[in-house]
Amino acid sequence: MLEISNISYCYSHAEKPALAGVSLSAGRGQILGLLGPNGAGKTTLISHLSGMLSVQQGSISIDGQPLAVIRRNTPARIAVAPQEYAFYPMLTVKENLECFASAGGLGGSRKRQRMADCMAFAQLERFARTRAERLSGGLKRRLNLAIALLPEPEVILLDEPTVGVDPQSRAFLLDAVKMLANNGATMIYTSHYMEEIEAIADRVVIIDGGKVLREGTLNELLTEGMAHVRLAVDGVAAVQLKAVLGNFGTAEAAGDEWWVMLDPGQMPTALLAAVEKAGGKVRQAEFGRNNLEQLFMALTHHSLRD
Amino acid sequence: MLPALIKKELLALIRDVHGLAALFLMPALFIIIMSLALKDVYSPAIKSLPYVVDNRDSGQLALTLLAEWEKRHGKPQASSPQTGSAGWVDEVRNGKLGYALVIEKDFSRTLATSQLADTIQVRLITDPGQEAGIFAANKAELVMIATEMRAQALLAAARMASRPAGADAGESMKEPDLAVAVSAQKLVEAERLAAGPRPTAVQQNVPAWLVFGMFFVVASLANLFLQERQCGALARLASLGVPTSMMIWSKALPYLAINGLQAALMLAVGVWLMPLLGGDALSLAGIHWGALLLVLLAVSMAAIGLALALASLVRTHAQASAVGPTINILMAAIGGVMVPKFVMPDFMQRLAEFSPMNWGLEGMLAVLLRGSDLAGVLQPTAKLMGFATVMIIIAVLFFRRRVS
Repeated sequence: MLEISNISYCYSHAEKPALAGVSLSAGRGQILGLLGPNGAGKTTLISHLSGMLSVQQGSISIDGQPLAVIRRNTPARIAVAPQEYAFYPMLTVKENLECFASAGGLGGSRKRQRMADCMAFAQLERFARTRAERLSGGLKRRLNLAIALLPEPEVILLDEPTVGVDPQSRAFLLDAVKMLANNGATMIYTSHYMEEIEAIADRVVIIDGGKVLREGTLNELLTEGMAHVRLAVDGVAAVQLKAVLGNFGTAEAAGDEWWVMLDPGQMPTALLAAVEKAGGKVRQAEFGRNNLEQLFMALTHHSLRD
Repeated sequence: MLPALIKKELLALIRDVHGLAALFLMPALFIIIMSLALKDVYSPAIKSLPYVVDNRDSGQLALTLLAEWEKRHGKPQASSPQTGSAGWVDEVRNGKLGYALVIEKDFSRTLATSQLADTIQVRLITDPGQEAGIFAANKAELVMIATEMRAQALLAAARMASRPAGADAGESMKEPDLAVAVSAQKLVEAERLAAGPRPTAVQQNVPAWLVFGMFFVVASLANLFLQERQCGALARLASLGVPTSMMIWSKALPYLAINGLQAALMLAVGVWLMPLLGGDALSLAGIHWGALLLVLLAVSMAAIGLALALASLVRTHAQASAVGPTINILMAAIGGVMVPKFVMPDFMQRLAEFSPMNWGLEGMLAVLLRGSDLAGVLQPTAKLMGFATVMIIIAVLFFRRRVS
């Protein structure tokens, strides 16, 4: 069980902290989707877990053991597949695996076995003798993942693992992530692709400005009082209509349409009745629940790809 | 369209600070350094070479010769009229003194005799690495002074002999004795203080360019390090628990081997290829191999240390590509690689002593020209090792920060 408790971090000469009291947890076999716009604090968080930054305030533990102790004694329990192609382009696939397997403390028959397993898992056997720089984007991502899996880590951090890959490779990588979680690994997955998070994450954490804005299961987040009504109304002045809609939640005009985020307990039928009572004629209405992207935008006021 | 593209090109150029430095600053520095270094090439510093006098003769002619030499070359650094050569041999051998002027005990008597004996009476014993032109010029000057003095002495003796008391000068004039040799060349000898090889272009160039080449690992190592750093491979190694010291050693050791190969190749070129091309051969006869290996190791450590420090300090490939070679070339220009130190004026020679390449070159020349042993190369190797230590400390301090 990965437990991050109230960590804060401020870079030297920075005006604002990159992380401010972040707490989250992820159990074995669980995929934690980490969402945040650029500059939200994701990289700082991942850098803590990968040992690149030491904790200034708060604590991080795995199975009750402090992260610093784990990093000192068994650093290979946590693996990072960074967004960059973190391997040697001039080496072949096999040579890269060999290099990082040795760096991770593997040797002898165990090293050979893990290299073979990871190559098979990432379906890279055919490319064993190919220089990494000559691989396609998708194959490079697979190699990045295969290297991360060499020491059989318990916690795996995947930072934007599907950037720049074709749909087949993306599907392969998402299946691989699910398979790793099913085998008991704790997965932390950051992505800008909302549909990926919706497809694989058991829990989602949305961070921005160094703070956790929401954390929960996907279902919890999507049902969290975020029903909305989108409607177009004729026959009522905008000021009067805004006042009517404001009784049911947060109303915003978008062109000639209105967007109302319903407060908890408010029903769309009552809203429509109130509009008609005020003399309005509903030309178009749509009721629904927020998807993750809408929730994200509502919370952060950013697009994910900002 | 063309103006827009030209504007783009100029903007790109103006914003490439390192490129601009390479275009403008480096040639300017080169003009300054090379002009100063070559300042005395057309007026060699023969007159200002430090020297010592070892006068074993108590006669007046010896003092006259020394006074004449002093008039032309300035005062000697030291004189050891009685103690013999022991005091100056080491200093001349290691190049601290340019030469020793030794006057044997029978110089005054021999110089004035009509029949010259075949014994050498004046010795010019020089630094083993002394440039051939300076060597020949000093010898010729010494022969000329001695000959002039001999001529005067013979003339004075002839006058005395031909002028008996009360005789008329015109009557007593005799025909000159044509069998008497006037030249004092037989009395003068000049030699370099070493049994080893004499300085040649190869003997100077192989060590110089070998040291230069060994320092060129700087650019290669720094660029590879940056590549690893930028792609995240180093961060990945760190996250796997690979200690910083191991990462640094994993870089240093291969380049140590590469420097070793460079040395073997360059020495082989000097020994075997140059004679085939009609040049002089590099002579390794009688050198102290342990001293040579120690100097090569020290040069390699200094080069790798500099490379690691630079790799840890720079942020981009552009910086590494511009800064590394620039430092190398400037160190070479100042350090006596491009222009031999002995042709530089005094202040440039003093400046050269701050260049690690000069320490390496002095160590190599000590082994290859002066036949120095381990003790003889201790000073340059200590400087190189000290430099390497400082550079590695800088590298370690910045390495982890850069990795993360």
